[in-house]
Amino acid sequence: MKPVIAACSVRGNASCSDKDLKAALGQWLDAPPRRIDRMILQALLCSAPLKAQVRSDCGLYLASRHPARATMGALLDAVCVHQRQPKPFEFVNSVSNAAGFHVASQLGLEGPNLFIGAGASVWKQLQMLAALDLADGAISQALLVVIDENGDFQAQAVLVEAPTKAQDFTELTASVEVLHLQAC
Amino acid sequence: MTPIYLQRGALHSALGADLRAASAALQSGQLPVPDSFQLHELRQPRPYLAVSRSGEGRQQRCDRLLGETLGEQPGALDDCLLIIASTSLDIDDLEQLIAAEGGFRPEHSTPLDLLAEDLRQRWGFADAFTLNTACTSAANGLLYGARMLAAGLYQRVLVLAFETPSAIAQQGFGALDLTSPSGAYRPFHPERDGLILGEAYAATLLSREPGTAPLAKLLGGFSACDTSNLTTTREDGSHIDWVMREALRSAGVDTGQIGLVKLHGTATGANDRAESNGVRLLFGDALPPLCVLKPWLGHTLGACGLSETLLLMENLANLPGLDYAAEALLPLSAEPTRVAADSLLLANFFGFGGNNASLVLQRCAESQV
Repeated sequence: MKPVIAACSVRGNASCSDKDLKAALGQWLDAPPRRIDRMILQALLCSAPLKAQVRSDCGLYLASRHPARATMGALLDAVCVHQRQPKPFEFVNSVSNAAGFHVASQLGLEGPNLFIGAGASVWKQLQMLAALDLADGAISQALLVVIDENGDFQAQAVLVEAPTKAQDFTELTASVEVLHLQAC
Repeated sequence: MTPIYLQRGALHSALGADLRAASAALQSGQLPVPDSFQLHELRQPRPYLAVSRSGEGRQQRCDRLLGETLGEQPGALDDCLLIIASTSLDIDDLEQLIAAEGGFRPEHSTPLDLLAEDLRQRWGFADAFTLNTACTSAANGLLYGARMLAAGLYQRVLVLAFETPSAIAQQGFGALDLTSPSGAYRPFHPERDGLILGEAYAATLLSREPGTAPLAKLLGGFSACDTSNLTTTREDGSHIDWVMREALRSAGVDTGQIGLVKLHGTATGANDRAESNGVRLLFGDALPPLCVLKPWLGHTLGACGLSETLLLMENLANLPGLDYAAEALLPLSAEPTRVAADSLLLANFFGFGGNNASLVLQRCAESQV
């Protein structure tokens, strides 16, 4: 059995607006969720193209290097500078696993849903967490997602159905054709 | 699941400066006295359960907590994974910075693995990562840390869980109308009016070996995502019921063997209704003793999976009763609950993002060491 089923890598420029990302997402989802922030959009953009291959007993292992900056900025400015209450949807979106919730909801995933901070070993750590659930038989597939935005952004998703031990995205996806997308 | 030991543990909470002090306060039944913060715009006070000020910053406190957990001579930690479970991370620093500078700029944003990487480098851990699944963060830290040990990936795992006072969290939960105006923290009360946030710092060292005086064994657990709603779980309790069943299955335990259920019990309308339904679906009429701990610690958000677990393990012989028990949605006890030291325990932790988790635990009696 080939452990890696499919993979998608989405790049976008710093100038890509959230509106641009929503438009790009519309190509993959009939009814994208409303009032979502940039990190949720990026997570959906790289995951949604894999939807047809995803089964419901799939776990999601998602990582991001930073929180969604615009959401954090809006919350911090409202609360700490202007002494206002945050908008409820902004506060809820700021929960790190909100992106995981929306990916699971849109793709119909019913398995575990974990979020970790992405550091140098992020792909190794995501594979390690997923391997535990795959080995236990709790899930038959695992969707690994990493988001990195520092000016330009890159969002990458890999769907696997057996434990893997690759160093990074390139090694992990060496055996499949990666769908490369440019968000805008 | 292979049982994994919680070899040692440390807790700094509003209930006490350490786990021993918190346990003494819990057994006295005396609720901690909350501080207060003001909801912006509404100008209404809300309670907050803060840790007594020690003059330490977050980094110093976390270092002290690690020292208490690892002991005076921790030795090399190159066989030990560090998992940080927290929703607040360094938000307290950011809040001060943004207030001082009059506004947020993108360069203010810090990496989500900043604290984990800092502790890894300074303490010499083999690896480290931040796990953030809202209020199930620490429960998932325990569960996945234990399974990594069972899989032989590391010799030890240290789970560090904390929630600092955060204006974003205080005002955010306020904006969602989830904080208690009355200041009475009453999970499962028919007129419950929300949660009281709490500050806490907790750590535990997990190992396949018991060590000299283990606190408890983690026997199993399960975690999954309910995609029906971002902030609530299915009110019929069906997802919670499923998660608890899977947790029991992973531990090889059936419902009749459970001696106590530690409820998540946020005292918010929807959560308590869903958990009440879920517990009744699982246990039917044969409900084991039930307990809640948030009235004593506050809702410590991402840390509650560990702060409540540690407090529970130390107090099975004397968990305080609730003065509203007769009115509660579930049969909580008005009298102190006492269960056998070796009882099998089911502990629930639920969070935003649809994350629901249950753990199966057992305190280590001396004969089990």
